[in-house]
Amino acid sequence: MNFKCNQTLPERAIHIALKGPDGGCQRGDGSGCFIASNVATTPGDMTERGCTYAGCRGVVGGPVKDAIQLTHGPIGCAFFSWGYRPHLADSDFHIKYTFVSDMNETNIVFGGEKKLLQCIIEASNEFPDAKAVFIYNTCSTALIGDDGRDVAKQAEERIGKPVVFFECEGFRGVSQSMGHHVGNETIFRQLVGSVEPEGDFSRAINIIGDYNIKNDLRTFEYLFEALGLKILTRFTGNVSVDELKIMHKAALNIVHCQRSATYIADMMRDKYGTPYINVTLWGIKHMSQALRDTAAFFGLEAQAEAVIERELARIQPRLDHYRQRLQGKTVFIYQGGPRVWHWIELLRELGMETMTAATTFGHDDDYQKIFRQIKDGALVVDNPNVPEIEEILRDRRPDLFISGNKEKYVAYKMGVPFVNGHTYDTGPYAGFVGMVNFARDIDKALHAPIWKTLRSRARPAPVAHHTSHGFEEVE
Amino acid sequence: MSTITVQDRAVAINPTRSCAPIGAMLANYGIHGAITINHGSQGCATYPRHQMARHFREPVEVATTSLTEKTTVYGGKSNLLAALKNIWERFHPTLIMVCSTCLSETIGDDIPGVIDEFLEQHPEVTIPILSVKTPSYIGNHTTGFDNFLKEIAGNLPDRRKKKGETNGKINMIPGWVNPGDIRELKHMLREMGLHGLWITDYSETLDGGYYEPRPHFARGGTTVEELRSSSRSLATIALQRYVGGEAARIYERRYGVPAHVLTMPIGLANTDAFVDTLVEITDHVIPEALQVERARLLDALVDTHMFTTGLRVALYGDPDLLEGLVGLVAEMGMTPAYVLTAADTMPWAEHMLELTEELGVESEIILKGDLHELHKRIKAHPVDLLIGHSKGKFIADAEGIPLLRVGFPVEDRFGYHRRSIVGYNGSTALVDEITNLIFERRASSIVSNTLVERGVEGPSSVPISLPNGNGKHPLVGLSNGQ
Repeated sequence: MNFKCNQTLPERAIHIALKGPDGGCQRGDGSGCFIASNVATTPGDMTERGCTYAGCRGVVGGPVKDAIQLTHGPIGCAFFSWGYRPHLADSDFHIKYTFVSDMNETNIVFGGEKKLLQCIIEASNEFPDAKAVFIYNTCSTALIGDDGRDVAKQAEERIGKPVVFFECEGFRGVSQSMGHHVGNETIFRQLVGSVEPEGDFSRAINIIGDYNIKNDLRTFEYLFEALGLKILTRFTGNVSVDELKIMHKAALNIVHCQRSATYIADMMRDKYGTPYINVTLWGIKHMSQALRDTAAFFGLEAQAEAVIERELARIQPRLDHYRQRLQGKTVFIYQGGPRVWHWIELLRELGMETMTAATTFGHDDDYQKIFRQIKDGALVVDNPNVPEIEEILRDRRPDLFISGNKEKYVAYKMGVPFVNGHTYDTGPYAGFVGMVNFARDIDKALHAPIWKTLRSRARPAPVAHHTSHGFEEVE
Repeated sequence: MSTITVQDRAVAINPTRSCAPIGAMLANYGIHGAITINHGSQGCATYPRHQMARHFREPVEVATTSLTEKTTVYGGKSNLLAALKNIWERFHPTLIMVCSTCLSETIGDDIPGVIDEFLEQHPEVTIPILSVKTPSYIGNHTTGFDNFLKEIAGNLPDRRKKKGETNGKINMIPGWVNPGDIRELKHMLREMGLHGLWITDYSETLDGGYYEPRPHFARGGTTVEELRSSSRSLATIALQRYVGGEAARIYERRYGVPAHVLTMPIGLANTDAFVDTLVEITDHVIPEALQVERARLLDALVDTHMFTTGLRVALYGDPDLLEGLVGLVAEMGMTPAYVLTAADTMPWAEHMLELTEELGVESEIILKGDLHELHKRIKAHPVDLLIGHSKGKFIADAEGIPLLRVGFPVEDRFGYHRRSIVGYNGSTALVDEITNLIFERRASSIVSNTLVERGVEGPSSVPISLPNGNGKHPLVGLSNGQ
C-alpha cells in the first residue's frame, strides 16, 4: 500500500500500513515489519510536523500560568507561539504575554548571554508577581554556544525566583515530541520537589498530561473530587509554579497524554516512588475505566460507581440523540499523537468508525494502541504530508476529518466535513459532559446544509488565462 | 511638536512583528504555481503556515528541509538537495523559492551553491530556483518580503531588451497588503485603462473560491512568464517604501524601467499621489469612476468629522502601513498620538517627524517598540482608538478601547484579508469603520446619529437616561422595563 502521490517517494512506504484481516500490520513496503515512526522526516515532503521548541514552549511549558514565558532567540519563534493555543487557566497572563530576548545580528555574532541576563531581570522587574522565568532556547542561540544554564543560575540569584532553562532548540529531535521530553525533564529537575509542604497528601492526585484545552479539566476534575480525592497539581494545564514544586507529594499520578507526559510520571516513580496509572479521559468507556482504576487504588470503588451512574444518566439522552444521527459515519483522524487512539472508542460509542488514522509524532507504543483498536482494512499513516492527506480525503472519502487548524482549510477546499481536534471547535470535549459537546460539534459539521449546497451547486474553476489586468475569466 | 523615541529595553514584551521567512513565503504565494522550500527546522515552516492559515483562512503549503541535530553538524546540503528533488518530482512547480532561517544561516549553508549543484545534476529542471536570505535575526517579517522582491527584480526579468521595446504594462509592487487591497488597486488601474503587472499577486491564491474539482495549483498569481517580461514595462510603482521600494530601483538601474516609490495609498492625499503618478506615467486622464470615488471619500470625511475630530489614536505595525494610515487619521481630524513600530529605521522616523509637522499633528514616534510599551503609554495617557493587527486586542480589552484591525495578522476576526484599506474606496470604508467603532462606544442607541457626552452633568442633575451603544449605561435596565 502506498499513495499515488508517493510514486517518487518510495521511502514513505514504511510509514503507511493497513490493518490486515489477521489483525496484523501490513506495511507499505511488504516487509511485514511494524509501521515506522519517530524518525526523521523526508526533506521537502510537505510535512505537517513542527519543531522541538514548539513542543516545549507551546505544549508543556506554555500553559504554566504564572511564569514569564521568555524565548531566547530571534523574534519569530516568540511571535508565532504567542496566544493561539487555548490552554486556558483561571488567569490569562500566560496567554496574553510573550517575552523574547530579540536576538539581532550583532547578538548572534558576539553572543547573547549578557542580553539574556538583562532580559530576565527586566522582565522580572516589569512583572514582579510572576513566580518564575521560563527560558526557551532556539536554534540560533544554541548554535552560537550561549550557556543559557549558567545565565539562568546567575539570574536566579539576582531575582530570587526560579529561572528554568529549557534546551528545546528547534533542530533537536525529529518532531515536537522531543520538546515534550525536554519540557518534562527540565521541569522535573528544576522545580519538582523544591518545596516540602506539610499536610496530609494521602488522597492527593496529580493529573499528568492534560493542558486544559478549552477548559477540558473542568469536565473531569469534579468527578475525581466526587470520589473524595484532592487534585494537587495539573501537569501543565491551569497550573502554577508553586503547584509544580510540590507535585511529588501526590499519592498517585494519573497520566492522560501518554506521549507528552509519561516522562515525568516515570521520573517521579523512580525518584519518589509515586505510582501512576494510564488513563483516557475521553468517552464513556474510558472515562468510566479511569474513575474505576483511580478509585480502586484508593479503595473507593463504591463511590466511583455512584459517580459514573449519576453522570451517565445526565448525558445518556443527549448522546442517544446524537448517536442516532452519526451512526455509520466513517472518520479520518489525524492528530499529534495519542488522541488518535484515545478517540477511536469514543467515536465508536457515537456509532462512527475510524477508517484512517494518522499521527504527527506518535511513537511505536502509540501505533500499537491504534492497531489494537481499529478495524480490519483501516489505514494507518505516520507523519502524513499534505499530498497524502489530500489523497486520503479525495480517494478514501471519509465522512468526517478530525485534525488541526492547518489541515482544516484543506478539508474545506475539498468539501469534507471537519472538526478541530487540536484546539476544538467549541469544546471542551473531555469527560462525560465534554463528549456531548464533541458529539454536537460532529453533528454540526456533518449535517450543516453547506455540504448539500456544494454537492448540488459547486462549479468547476473557470478557465483562466492571464490578461493585462491579472487573472481573468474567458468566455 | 512630534518626538522620536527609541525604546531601549533589552527584552521585547509582546512584539508587534514576526520574522523574515513568512514574508518571503507570502510574496511567493503571489506567483502562480510557485512553491517555497524553507531551509531550516520544521517549526520555521510550520509556524508561519499556521499563522497564515489563521489570517487568510486558506490552505497554506510550505515545504521544509527538516534539518535535525545531525545536519547542523554536517551541514544541510544533502537535505536541501533531497527537498529540491522531491518538490520538483512531486509537484512540477513553475518556480521554487528557497528561503533560509536562523539555523541554516548560522551553520553557514551556501544555498545558491547547492541550487547550482542541483541544477547541474538535474538538467531536466528548467524552472527558476531563487534563494532568499531570511534569517530571523535580521529585520522583521517585511524584510523577508522585501528581500524576495529584490531577488525577483534581480534575477527573473529578461535582460535582452531592444531599445524602446515595451510590454505596455506598469510593474505594480503593492508591498505587504491583503488580497482585498490588491483587488482594489487592480480596479483602479482598470478604470484608468492601464495594464498592471503585479509583483506579486496573491489576491486569489490566498483568497480563493470553492471549485469542484479543486485545481492542482490555486487559481491566480502572476506567472513566471509575466515576471520575465517585467523588464519591458513602462514604469514600476512601489506602494511601500520598505517593501518593494528597493526592487523598484533595481528595475530602474538594471533595465531602465523608471521607478516611482510612493506612500501606501491610504487616505485622500496619498491616493491622489498614486493616481497623479499614473497620470504622469501614461498621460491618461482620470476617469469618471475614480473622480466619483474620490468625491465620495471627501463626502464621507465631511459627514463624519464631528465624530472624529480631536480623537487621540494609537497606531502600531509596519512602517509603510503606519505612514499611509497617519495620512488618513490626520485627514479625519484625529491625532496619531502614538505611532509605534518594531523596526529600527531612523530615516523613516525622521520622515514621519516631518510628515506629522506638515499635517499639523503631534505624535510620539516610537522605534524598536513593543506592545507592552504602548500599553504603558496608553495607561498613563489614554487614547480613544487603537489601530493595528490582532495582537493589540489585549490592550483594547484591558483598557476598554476600540481596536480597528488592519495589517497582519488579523486572526481573531473573519474576512479582514478580503477588505481593502487602499485607494478611495478602501479609505472610505476605513472612515466608516472608524466612525462606527466610536459610535459603538459612545453613541446613543435610542436616537440615531447622536453622540452623548458623559461626565459633564452637574452633581445634582437628573441622570441621563439614554443608554449608550454598548448598553452599559446604569439605567439601561429601567428602559427595558425591568
